[in-house]
Amino acid sequence: MSKIILQFLTVVALWCVAHQLVAQQKVTLSGYINDAENGEALIGATVFVRETQSGSASNVYGFYSITLPPGQYTIEYTYVGYQPLVKEITLNENQRLNVEMTGESQQLQEVVISGERVDANVTSTEMSTNKLDIQTIKKIPAFLGEVDVLKSIQLLPGVSTVGEGAAGFNVRGGGVGQNLILLDEAPVYNSSHLFGFFSVFNPDAVKDTKLYKGAIPAQYGGRIASLLDVRTKEGNSKRFEANGGIGTVFSRLALEAPIVKDKSSFILAGRRSYIDILAKPFLQDLDDVGLSFYDLTMKTNYNFDKNNRLYLSGYFGRDVFKFDENQGFNWGSKTASLRWNHVFNARLFSNFTAVYSKYDYQLEFGEDARDRFTWDSDVTNYMFKPEFTYFVNNYNEVSFGGSIIYYTFEPANAVGISDGERIDISLDKKYNLESAVYLSNKHELNDRLSAEYGLRYSMFQYLGPGTAYEYGEAVPGERKPVVGAREYDRWETIQSYSNLEPRVAFKYQLNASSSIKGSYNRMAQYIHLVSNTTASNPLDVWVPSSNNLEPQIGDQFALGYFRNFGEGNDYEASAEVYTRLTKNQVDYIDGADILINEYLEGELLSGEGRAYGLELYLKKNVGNLNGWISYTLGRTELQVEGINDGDWYPTRYDQTHNLKVAAFYDLNERISLSGNFTFVSGTPTTFPTSRYVVQGILIPYNAEGGRNNVRLESYHRLDLSLRLEGKKMKKGKERRNEDYWVFSLYNVYGRKNPFSIYFSQSDDRVSPGEVINTEANRVSIVGSIIPSISYNFRF
Amino acid sequence: MNIRILLSILTISMLAIACEDTIDVDLKEADPVLVVDAWINDKSEDQIIRLMMSQPYFDQTLPPEVSGATVTVTDNTGKVYNFTEQETGEYVWSPSGADPSFGTIGNEYTLNVQLQDGDSYQSVTTMNRTAQVDSITFTYEEETAFFPESYIAEVWARDPQGEGDSYWIRTYKNGVLLTKPQEINLAFDAAFTEGSSFDGITFIEPIRQGINPLDQDEDDEFLSPYELGDSVYVEIHSISNEAFYFLTEVAIQTDRPGGFGELFAQPLANVPTNIYATENGVKDVVGFFNVAAVSGKGKKLEE
Repeated sequence: MSKIILQFLTVVALWCVAHQLVAQQKVTLSGYINDAENGEALIGATVFVRETQSGSASNVYGFYSITLPPGQYTIEYTYVGYQPLVKEITLNENQRLNVEMTGESQQLQEVVISGERVDANVTSTEMSTNKLDIQTIKKIPAFLGEVDVLKSIQLLPGVSTVGEGAAGFNVRGGGVGQNLILLDEAPVYNSSHLFGFFSVFNPDAVKDTKLYKGAIPAQYGGRIASLLDVRTKEGNSKRFEANGGIGTVFSRLALEAPIVKDKSSFILAGRRSYIDILAKPFLQDLDDVGLSFYDLTMKTNYNFDKNNRLYLSGYFGRDVFKFDENQGFNWGSKTASLRWNHVFNARLFSNFTAVYSKYDYQLEFGEDARDRFTWDSDVTNYMFKPEFTYFVNNYNEVSFGGSIIYYTFEPANAVGISDGERIDISLDKKYNLESAVYLSNKHELNDRLSAEYGLRYSMFQYLGPGTAYEYGEAVPGERKPVVGAREYDRWETIQSYSNLEPRVAFKYQLNASSSIKGSYNRMAQYIHLVSNTTASNPLDVWVPSSNNLEPQIGDQFALGYFRNFGEGNDYEASAEVYTRLTKNQVDYIDGADILINEYLEGELLSGEGRAYGLELYLKKNVGNLNGWISYTLGRTELQVEGINDGDWYPTRYDQTHNLKVAAFYDLNERISLSGNFTFVSGTPTTFPTSRYVVQGILIPYNAEGGRNNVRLESYHRLDLSLRLEGKKMKKGKERRNEDYWVFSLYNVYGRKNPFSIYFSQSDDRVSPGEVINTEANRVSIVGSIIPSISYNFRF
Repeated sequence: MNIRILLSILTISMLAIACEDTIDVDLKEADPVLVVDAWINDKSEDQIIRLMMSQPYFDQTLPPEVSGATVTVTDNTGKVYNFTEQETGEYVWSPSGADPSFGTIGNEYTLNVQLQDGDSYQSVTTMNRTAQVDSITFTYEEETAFFPESYIAEVWARDPQGEGDSYWIRTYKNGVLLTKPQEINLAFDAAFTEGSSFDGITFIEPIRQGINPLDQDEDDEFLSPYELGDSVYVEIHSISNEAFYFLTEVAIQTDRPGGFGELFAQPLANVPTNIYATENGVKDVVGFFNVAAVSGKGKKLEE
């Protein structure tokens, strides 16, 4: 295997050198593209050379590079929502040109687009991706008025969730634990506050969110469903800026300022819920009872010189529940990433990332020292990731690099004290190493055809010290018995896996306004999220692949038609079909004990998944009325030996129809309206057919034994919000600060959308020999209209 | 670790925005299957095995009994215990001078059920040792925001040395057995699960206090579990590990958290059974067979 890779690398290297030789007579224009007002790097801005009709785009750090024969050129820089910038240059030698682009308008309601539209939707090779900038996210009506990145992406095609209030999201039939969520390159293992009602990303600190549902570039790996790339702001490098707000749930404040003007800046953004503070006067008896969650996002950067930039970002967030002084439960994530952008030369850009990320939770029970239970658990990783982009010529952009992640999993550091006797029930830590190398090329073959192809080779090692168990056979769906155990020393490899992950995408331009795109990618996932509850919960455990648990493999094929309409590409539309086939999906036996279980692997099952669907997307970018319509027709099924008689069954998040409409309307200078409507087919669930009584307890029974054999009612909901800008003028003078109010209504017509229907015996106490009554109960997580109000400011 | 307890606490502390209502649901029809309710023990009293048929889920009547069957339990020494039908569907073995109680700890027992139509069913289990009830205590608790002033009962017992014991702690309040789903009180060794080995120590606090009925009055206010003058009697039944898994799943399937807690409920699934058809292997059967050794003690709450 490694021989093949070596050969592949050699061929590519030779090919690069060959191009280098041919390109000798050419010169390169490169630089950074930034926002003129606050210095933020612009991601994906287009650089277009009129004379050659060729172009390039800035990368995630705002860097671009374009290679041309020496000569006179007209360079156009364009970016959605910014005034196009045209530069006349004479290019005789390699030249650095940093540009700053000015926003179309300081006031969002005056969006007037002039000049050429950016038509990346049709022209780029990228497919199956959706980008949401924070301005759009802030306009979407939000639950309790709290702007939320993860809830917003659920309005995109191909994205679903197991229900309101549930943590995480599902992409093209993938599980919640199959999404790679990166916050400034650091993996986030739990992206929710309050179990799932809010996400951990502070909207004041987020700059850009991009969801890859397929066609995931070779530089990313480790999860088989999707990649959500969340990038935070660098912080205003021109002047001091403060953003903040008072909402129904959170109070927020974000500060940004230059440290050294145009060289260094920072942002510090914090949020805290204040339900507990508001409730305090009413709960005097319960002084120690508390529910709070908070997070802090920070980032700073330093431009040493034109070739070296350093970024340091961090996140710290926690949810805290206290039942009383001694008892409680808390969880949260910490991430830190240090990135160094180094420009070797005009055509070789590099970035080195070092990441620390940790998710942990702690529980404490027992009112006194004689009877206590304490438990903490964490997953920690350290990552190093060198990445290089080589701008070979106008037709080839080669990326290569690698990553190495060292994981430690601490499933349980737990102690129980019963009547003064102490027992340590901690489980062994698990150590793993995940590494990868990749190489890919963005290749423009001709005017019409371009492709991005690459290969990722990933490896995973389960390392000692530790005990590896061997399990015997069992009837599918039942606990497997332990038949052997072996001890391993430090750094000894207990099990290793490797996978070749090809990634291919192409675009064929039909004409100026339409194109066809296709992609195939294979992804491998070495760590697994095991959850046996309907929605993922904070205690869900991440387990590494081992001698008993093979890595998950996902293959995805997608084909799409992309088209822009209208004058200046006012409308963009796309239709994509996808098929996703997965292996070794993790499931569990009925009654599995997934927490603090030394023999957990004996209770896990593995199966296959298949998902397919059609996604339609129509977006209007300009005008007083803008927004999008997204529709997904899909099917997501699993087949696991030991569940549903080994037959295929729909997953909880299998949604036949999923329609989302998001609309924004600017009424006048001060008032803008937003609305979104959601319609989703009924969620699959399992109903009983029969009942029987054992020892006075009424037990439901499903005679068919099938899982998810019926569907709940369909789900639909309308949300509206109104944004009122503060007055621009005060006493005839222009106000220095801006402010606005947001009034929102969630679930406008108060529909009781069912999250689930559960069956139980009635709560009455029944004497032996009496009839036990049964009932069905419908649970709506949000069963009424929820109004909210928030005040936001900026100065 | 018992997630049910954790989640019920969390549910209380959650935002009360979830809403719940009782609704009518049309369910598919299914053929009835045989139900074997065979939990017998070594108490010196009549031992009863019930045979019934399952019913449609919303059939609010007593389950139809299965009459005319031949029911025996045989131990590994070849001794046969005959269970004879007294009430319809109730098969009884009564203690006598020769056999003052049922069974011996450590013996293996085979249940044989032969129906009138010729179908026969079998199950095998072992009678395990049990933990001894040491004492029962009451504690007075002041009124809090959620609970009135209360008397909380606690049963003190110690798991004997050696991993793998499982117990069902059954409580009688004023002589009435507590049988609500949330009153299922199980122990694996001295704690909740097999994976966390709490062996050879006093039962952990939530199990010791799992003998308190949580009833509500008409206004949905909690009542004190015990009042002055009430009596409590606690029995520790030894159960097989299979019976422990069975009851754990019964608790998951029947003690539904409701409301916001449904986010973290487990999906509906059939609970296991240790009864199987011998003659006609494809016939479905549900229920469970366990032979328990029982220890017990009672106490009256007095000033």
